[in-house]
This record gives sequence, C-alpha cells and structure tokens, in this order.
Amino acid sequence: MRKFLLSLLVVALCMPVWAGAKKKADKDTNQFRYEIECAGNAIQGTYLVKVWTYSRKAAVAENQCRKNAVHGVIFKGYGGGQGCVSQRPMANTPGVETQYSEYFNRFFADGGEFQKYASIMPGTTETVKVGKEYKVGVVVSIRKDDLRRALEAAGIIKGLNNGF
Amino acid sequence: MKRYIFTLALALVALVASAQIKKPELMVVPSDVWCISNGYYTEVENMGITTKVPNYKQALQEDMGLKLAIAKLNDLMAERQFPLQSLEQVIKNLELQKMEDNMTVSKLGNELAESPLDEVARVAKCDIILELSWEVKDFGPKHSISYILEARDAYTAKSIGAASGTGAPSLTADVDVLLEEAIVANMDNFNNRLMDHFTEMQTIGREITLDIKVFANNAAGVDLETEYNGVELIDLIDAWLQLNTVQGRYTMPYASENVANFTQVRIPVYDERGRAIDANGFARKMAKHFKQEPFNLPCKVLVKGLGRAVIIIGEK
Repeated sequence: MRKFLLSLLVVALCMPVWAGAKKKADKDTNQFRYEIECAGNAIQGTYLVKVWTYSRKAAVAENQCRKNAVHGVIFKGYGGGQGCVSQRPMANTPGVETQYSEYFNRFFADGGEFQKYASIMPGTTETVKVGKEYKVGVVVSIRKDDLRRALEAAGIIKGLNNGF
Repeated sequence: MKRYIFTLALALVALVASAQIKKPELMVVPSDVWCISNGYYTEVENMGITTKVPNYKQALQEDMGLKLAIAKLNDLMAERQFPLQSLEQVIKNLELQKMEDNMTVSKLGNELAESPLDEVARVAKCDIILELSWEVKDFGPKHSISYILEARDAYTAKSIGAASGTGAPSLTADVDVLLEEAIVANMDNFNNRLMDHFTEMQTIGREITLDIKVFANNAAGVDLETEYNGVELIDLIDAWLQLNTVQGRYTMPYASENVANFTQVRIPVYDERGRAIDANGFARKMAKHFKQEPFNLPCKVLVKGLGRAVIIIGEK
C-alpha cells in the first residue's frame, strides 16, 4: 500500500513538470517562429520545403517543423532561386488567419488535421545553437494539392473554377 | 398547388444555373518564337512582304516535347476543374468539318451555303490563349530549361499573367523530364495569376472590345454623325455606354462617321435579371436600345466570342 502511495506521489509530482514542458512547447509553436525556404523541385502535387524552427529544446523544434511547414505554405509562401520557383501563400487574403481562427486553431492543434499534409524527409535534420535556443532545420514534403482542396472545401480559399 | 411548387422549383433551378458566369475556354498554343526557332512555320507572301506563319499542325505531328508539354498542362488544369481545349483536336475537327461540308450536296446538286464570314468564324477560337515556349540551355555537360507560359486574352490581346523561369542545370535528366519539372514547378504561380484575373473580372466586370460599324450606302441613310434631337449618334452611344458599363469604364481610342472602337469596356457579368452575359449579350442589349424609338436603327450583331462584339448599323 505504501509503495503504491509513493508511486502515486511521484506521478503527481511529475505531472506539473510534463504540463510545463508541454505548455512551453505550445508557447514556442503558437508564435509560429520559423523560417521557410524552398528545398528543391518536388514531385507533382507536393512542395519540398526546408523549415527552420526556433525553440529552447531541439526536440520540441523538430517536432513542430511539420506544423510550421504547413503554416508557412498556407500563410507565408517562400522565395525561389537556384532552380527553385518561389510560391505565393495559398491563402493570400489579408486577415484570413484571424477571420478563420476557430478553424485554424483546430487544424493546427496537436494531432490536428495539418499532420495529413506534411511528412518529414528522413535524414535531413540540421541543428544550430543560436544563443540560448536551438534552430532546427528539417526538409518537409507538403501535399499541397490535397491541402489546397481541403482549404477550398472549407471555404477559406477560392478554387480556380469558383464563380463559373 | 403542386403545379405552383413545381414551377417555382423550376424557376429556382434556372436562376441558379444562369447565375454562373460564362466560363472562358483556354487553349495551349506554342508561341510564334518557339515555332519559328524550331522550324515549324510556313512562309506566306502578302503584298510583297514574306512573313513566317506558325504551322501548328506540323509542330503537333513532329514534336514529342510539345505534345508532352500540352498533355501535362491539360492534366494540371483539369485537376483544377479547368480542362483545356485541345489544339490538335480543334485542328482535326476543323479539317473534318470542312471535308464534310465540301462533300455535302443536295439532291439537286446544291452545295452548303456559307458566307465568307462563316468560314472565318470556323477558325479555332478560344477566350484565353496560353502561349508556351521553352529553350534548352547547355552549360558544358549540363543542360537546363528556360520556360515561359503566358496567358493572353484572345479579344483584348492583353497579357493576363505569365510564369517563367530557368530550372536548375542537370547532368543526367533528359529534356522532356526537365520540361515536365518546369511545368509542374511553375503551374501554381501561373494559376494564381489566372485566379487574380478571374477575381478582377467578378469584381469590376468582364473586359471586352466593342466595334461599331456602318454599312456603306445603307438604306436607312445613317452614320455615326446622324443627329437625333440635335445629338449625334456617336454621342448617344457614348452616353449609353457610360450608363451601362461597370463604373463607366471604357475608352474610345478611335471614332469617325463610319467606325467607332471601344476598348477596355468593362461589362457586368450578370444582367439586371441575374443572367450571365458576355460581349454578345451586351451588344444585343445595346442594339435593342437603338432599334427602338426614336432611333429605329436596323442593327446587325456579329458574335465574336465572350470578349468581342461588333455592331453594324444601317441594315440587317
């Protein structure tokens, strides 16, 4: 019985630490602090982007790269060069993120729909220490055609065929 | 009651169906510079001057790269619910149609009646032309592709948008692979430009060109300087356009007693009854106005597609 109570106490003491770490990770990623660049020509229906994510913990940054890559493709776009073609953001109407905040909060929540559209290319992680935090770069493949169709279906962006 | 509900439902369906803007037709055509630099042209002598005219049929029959590029573009556009008109199919259809018409005779041996204008109208027409060109560039053993895809309004000749760029040099990939890569990589940017154009059209109206012409020595004895209550016909047309264009947007670059050209005419995409209209509908509305009192002008409207119309006054 004593052993059981001790285990329970240890678990109870650890909970706030886990919760704190989770909160910190959420704070880091909620601000969407990242840089996005083209990582080469991708196969049809996808974009290949390199996302640099900032966080105090390298593991957190790496985990958030997929979310940031999808966010970047929807709201930021990226520059071209060296054979790469620059891309405008998918949702290029000003204020669209705020207008559909409810949808995007759900979309970008942990385990949210964004996961369906991004996959990390194995062996592409680069970690750089910048001051007190880490800058982690990962190449992510975005299924942009599927993502665009989902946003069109949600009424966030208009399809080319819209109005005809 | 049932009949009333049925009629109402039918009217609603008709309204929804007509509330769609008329969809422009798009067609990929190899650019003049690509055709000429690759030898797909015929020389035509016109009034002592030799000009090179692109030979699309020859290009389509002999260049696999062109066929691949058109197929890829069609595939990508179809994915966005905007299938393209096939240039090859249009050329084939025209030839077949001409052959059929030539062989059609009545029991009395009469051929089909076709005015020269009908013959001209049969030439492949589309609303937006996508001009495609590419060039292979060699850097030592490596080669890359410079690629341009430009959309042009077939009626106003205005550029709607373009996507261009030079791909990364490659040592191993062959030209067809590089071309496909260039098309895929540039397509989203190109579609963004098209989307901007369509959005603009839905906001400030469809841009058309309108030509007013006069039949020489017409029976009604009118020209554009004929006066009605002390106002010349050209000024009355001007006033009508001012009232019926979106925000009075149009320009009149040229006008004489026989001809008036109106360009950058922004027409509403729907009429007052919510039906989709194009240049033809707009021109018919104008003709209807001038056919009535006090003008009683006989007018002939020529259909030139979604974005160009010609009204000839004086006779039918």
